[in-house]
Order: sequence, then structure tokens, then C-alpha cells
Amino acid sequence: MNILRIAGKELKVFRDIKMLLFMLATPVLLMLILGTALSGNFHGTVKVDPIRVLYSYNSTSSAVGKQWEAFLLEAKASGIRFEEATSRTETDVVKDVQNGLYTGYARIADKGISYYGNSGSGKENGIVQGLLAALADRYRLTITETGLSASNGNYVTEASVDAVRQPGGLDYFAVAVTTMIILYSALTAGQLIETERSRHTDLRLLVSPVTKGEIFAGKIVGTLVLNAIFVAIIVLLSKYMFGANWGEHLWLVFLVLLTEIVLALSLGLGVGYCLKGNAAGSVLMIVIQAAAFVGGAYTPVDQTTGMMNFLSRYSPLHWSNDAILQIIYAGNLMAAPPAMMLNLGCSILLLALAIVLMRRREGL
Amino acid sequence: MNMLEIKQLTKKFGEYTAVDNLSLSVQEGEIFGFLGPNGAGKSTTIHMATSLLSATKGEIEIMGRNITKHSRFAKQAIGFVPQDLAIYEDMTAYENVHFFAGLYGLRGAELKRSAIEALEFVGLADRQGSYPKSFSGGMKRRLNIACAIAHRPKLIIMDEPTVGIDPQSRNYILNSVRKLNRRGSTIIYTSHYMEEVEEICSQIAIIDHGKIIAEGTKAELKAIITNQKNISITVRSTERLPMEQLKSIVGVNTVEAAEQTINISSAVEINNLNPIIQLLVASGVEIRGVEAQEPSLETVFLTLTGRTLRDE
Ligand SMILES: Nc1ncnc2c1ncn2[C@@H]1O[C@H](COP(=O)(O)OP(=O)(O)OP(=O)(O)O)[C@@H](O)[C@H]1O
Ligand SMILES: [Mg+2]
Repeated sequence: MNILRIAGKELKVFRDIKMLLFMLATPVLLMLILGTALSGNFHGTVKVDPIRVLYSYNSTSSAVGKQWEAFLLEAKASGIRFEEATSRTETDVVKDVQNGLYTGYARIADKGISYYGNSGSGKENGIVQGLLAALADRYRLTITETGLSASNGNYVTEASVDAVRQPGGLDYFAVAVTTMIILYSALTAGQLIETERSRHTDLRLLVSPVTKGEIFAGKIVGTLVLNAIFVAIIVLLSKYMFGANWGEHLWLVFLVLLTEIVLALSLGLGVGYCLKGNAAGSVLMIVIQAAAFVGGAYTPVDQTTGMMNFLSRYSPLHWSNDAILQIIYAGNLMAAPPAMMLNLGCSILLLALAIVLMRRREGL
Repeated sequence: MNMLEIKQLTKKFGEYTAVDNLSLSVQEGEIFGFLGPNGAGKSTTIHMATSLLSATKGEIEIMGRNITKHSRFAKQAIGFVPQDLAIYEDMTAYENVHFFAGLYGLRGAELKRSAIEALEFVGLADRQGSYPKSFSGGMKRRLNIACAIAHRPKLIIMDEPTVGIDPQSRNYILNSVRKLNRRGSTIIYTSHYMEEVEEICSQIAIIDHGKIIAEGTKAELKAIITNQKNISITVRSTERLPMEQLKSIVGVNTVEAAEQTINISSAVEINNLNPIIQLLVASGVEIRGVEAQEPSLETVFLTLTGRTLRDE
């Protein structure tokens, strides 16, 4: 009861219409700007030079072969020329790509597809990668059928999308911006206890016959509900105002988002308890921005390989985005549980840290 | 009955001892004045009594029950008014009181009635729907009190509730304190305003450097110093004041010098006014007036510590 009382207090923010509009304006504007400015990454609507891609095919699996052939046909229809790099060495091929003769080079093997793109042609690369991602997605399914472990796959892009229903710019960024905005709620969570402290209301809470645990839980539940409502508004706004595609399983998408909110709040609380005052905010800001940057908040598909690609696996944005895109575009409902577990698992660790630190110190 | 009993309480912050082996007891029905200069350890003591701080040593009982063993009981019995304003700016006056009173287990119609009643008590009932940001300093202070009294606590602990407000609001608050006391609450009133404490408190403890240096009723405290007189001398300037020589005059206890006044507390039975004046004249201090003062609590403090309560 006390938990609900304290949680309810957190929701008073919703009365401040000006504040609410301001809070909503940021994500909505971001979606619009990123979604339209970068839409060339997704549609043929923006004029692009003819795209030529080299590839080498070294797979022995007939299932993969079939998929690949079907893919080549599809690609041709969309005006992309895939040329086999028959007798050339890989260094030559890479040189050609670097010099801009080709947009990129794809290597298809049993274990997956690797792609090397020309750094100068981002837009074209985006398209090729999008297509390959779509293939990789189906390919992954095929591989599992043939008994190979899917995790061995070295996929080019992490956003595995269905070629038939590829996301438009706005569709992608509706998801990416939402997951990014959620991550930012870590900042407010980091301030959760600090705001009580700075208003001295922590004293009032602590002298009342309410336990520290109840206060803590109340604050978390309150912010969780607050953010959940807020995210629901963003999702529905983008869906009905801009027609962004959130797929047929909105409830599942929302569950994934919910676990990401829990993660963001736990992150904020954990860091907030470790570091005092401004330090917590600065550290959180760096963590969030790093996660957003490597996790695909600004660019739909990794235009680099190597380090960045590696790092992106550790961004919660990345795994949440991935799961949600899979749900929306591939109807792959099984993509949700791992992402949700990962989010909740990290949350439990961070919350445990916060609770240990809280119990140790005097006051809130 | 002992409403609050503090036994040999000590609080250390690192090496610094903020409260030093302090004992005191507050009886039911009292308005207990807890008086002391800045940094004396008033807030620290009160924070231990309200379980906000843990004691380094010592024991605290509320109505005969140990506050750590009977934490919920103790917390339920106390209404605490923090020294700093502790209210939510984004909630109306009524919502603030309602919220905090709710934490004490009040529900529904009773909660509503109690919240309104608390606001009436501090004269804010007509502003219950307003946000604190539209309030004056005094009104915020009154709201700060209202938030602590709606659950009808048996013991109300106020930590400098009138600091920095206009005389009108101060009077209002002092009256509310009396009314709360009449309604049945025991009150601990912390302040460094001597006049306030003299005006409303039945029992007074004076704290300095974490220790109680005097305790009793107003009359008892003044009795401590009936053997003391206070001589106040107005001068043109205290620049050339021969401090050490002055203190060595027979009977003189303490000497306190401001820009144009010298306060001397001296044994009442020794007539040393002549040597004092002579010394000042000989040192070239120009005397403008001499006054022997009624003993006040200020004098009590001055006598006991050699300092004034506030640096003004
Ligand atoms: N958390 C703390 N850490 C270290 N020292 C502290 C802490 N809290 C208080 N002190 C010190 O303990 C002493 C007593 O402080 P306290 O706040 O109890 O004084 P006070 O009598 O309430 O004074 P005031 O009239 O200014 O409110 C002061 O010297 C203060 O600096
Ligand atoms: Mg204080």
C-alpha cells in the first residue's frame, strides 16, 4: 500500500501538460528527422548510382545454395548487380571496393555471410546490407534445419529483416528511437533518490513508519509505470500519426520494451548509488551515448565491421532492437525471450548492487 | 510519563564529536525548548531521535520504548518538522499533507479530514489547492509544519521551524505550537532564537558543543545567574579595549565586545563598576552609556559559554 502511495506520487508528472509535451516532442522529432533524412538507407526513392557488388560463393550446403540463387534473382529485380569474383584474390577484390569500383564484397560460406563495404558509399551499403540481412535471416533458419548451430553464423547485420517487408526509414527509427529514449530514462532513475535528497523530502520519508525497502520499491514501480505509459504513448503516436510499422504482435514488442525500461532504471539506480552527485549523471550519459552509438540508434546497419560490430553486441539497444525487428518483420516471436532475459538479468545484477549499497549507507 | 528519554548519547562524524554523551528527558505535555548556537549539535541529536542517524553510543526511548527495537511504534508517535523545507513543489499544499499523512496509515475520509485540519491549523486551508511555488517563505514554513502534524503525533519535534521568516508568520507558528500543545501533543522546539524559546517553552535545555550545559524551567535557568549581573557599556569604539586587563578585574567573569558595546558578566556581590570604568577611561575608550541588565536566557548562555547565541 505504501509502495503504491509512493509510486502514485511519481505519476503526478503527467499533470504537467507542458512538461509532457516536451518529453514527447524529443522522441517524435527524432523519429521524423532520422526517419526521413536517412530514408535513403532503405528505399530506392532516393536516386543512387548503380550498385555493383562482388561476391564469392563457397558453400557446400544445397539449402544455402538455393537461398542464394533466389536471392540473386531478387537482387536483380531491385537493380543491384551481383558479380561473382571468380578468379581474383581477396586482396584485389578489397582494393577494387576501396577504390569505389564496387559498393562492397560479400563472401558466402557455410558459416554465414561476411560483407565488406566501401566506406564512401553509405547509402548503397545500407541497401546491400539490408538485403543481405534479410537473406541472413532466412539463411539462419535454413541452417538450423540442416543441423548447424545458428550461433556460428557470422552475419553482416544484426537487424535481421524480411526482404519482403523491409522497414522503411521511419519504421526502423520508430523502433530505434524508442529503444534509445528508454535508455535515457536511466538518467532520471539515477536522479530518483537524489531528487528526494535535494528537496529534503527524504527525511520525511525516512522518519515515517515506512521501510527503506518500501520507499525504494515505490520509487522504482512509480518510474517504471511512468516510463511504460510514456513509451506506450510514443509507440502509439508513431503508429497512428506516422504509420510506423510495429507489426502484428504489439503486446510482445511492448513486453520487450518493458524489460528494457527495467534495465534502464536499474542501470540508473545502480550507477546513482555508486557515484554521488554529478558524477553519476556524467557516467550515465557516456554509457547511454556509447550504447546508442554502437547499438544502432543512428545508423540502421553497421557500416563498419570489426571493433564496432563486436562492441555492438554488448549494447542493450542492439539486442532489444534486434529482437523487436525480428518480431515485427520476421514474425519471429522466439526472438523475444532471450532479449528479455538479458534485459532482466542485467537489471537484477544492477538492482542487487543498488540494494547492497543502499543498505550500507545511512539515509536513502 | 517520559515522552522522550535520551541516555548518554554520542555521535561522531569521523573524529569529530558532534553530540557528546548527552542525556535529557522530555515529559509528556511539555513544550521543550532545545536551544543552542549554530553547529551545537541540535539537528544531529534530533536526527538520532527520529532514526535518521544512528547513534555512535547511547540509547533513546520514546514513551519508554527503545526506538531501534520499536522502530515502527516510535516513528508513528513522532511528527518531525525538518530544519530545511521538505515539501514537493509539484504537488499542491493539500496533496503534500495528504501524501505524508498517508504514510502514517491514515486512509480515505479520515485522511482527507486530517489533511484539511492540519492545513487549517497552520492557516493554509484557503490555499490548499495552490502549489508551494506561489507561497511566501512563511507560508512554506507553515506547510512544512502541516506535513508533520496531520497524523496527530504524540510528540512533535520541530527543528528551527521559524528560521528566516517574517514576524507575522513567526507569530502564527508560535501560536500553532501552543495550540498543538493544548491539543495534547508534546513538543520539542529547537531554536537559536532566545526570545521564542522564552516565550513558549515550559522547559529548556541549552546545548553547546554537543553537550547540555544547562537545563530547567525558565526560572530555574535564570536562577543560575542571579549571582551574576550583566553590565552593558556603550562606547564610541572598542578598538582600544584592554581585554585582558578588563578580565582580570575582580568579579568579572566574561567580557564580550562588539563594535560599540561591551557586555560584561560579573559576580553580583562585588562592586567593580568603578575600576571597570576607570580602566576604560584610562585606555582612551570613550564611554557613551552604562547599563546593568535584567538577566535573560541570552545572559544565561553568555555566562555559561562566554559567547552570544548568534553572531550578529
Ligand atoms: N553528516 C555530517 N558529517 C560531518 N559533520 C557533520 C555532519 N552533520 C553535522 N556535522 C557537524 O556536526 C556539528 C553539529 O551540527 P548540527 O547540524 O547538529 O548543528 P545544529 O545545532 O543543528 O546547528 P544549526 O543551528 O546550524 O542547525 C556541526 O559542526 C556540523 O558541522
Ligand atoms: Mg540544525
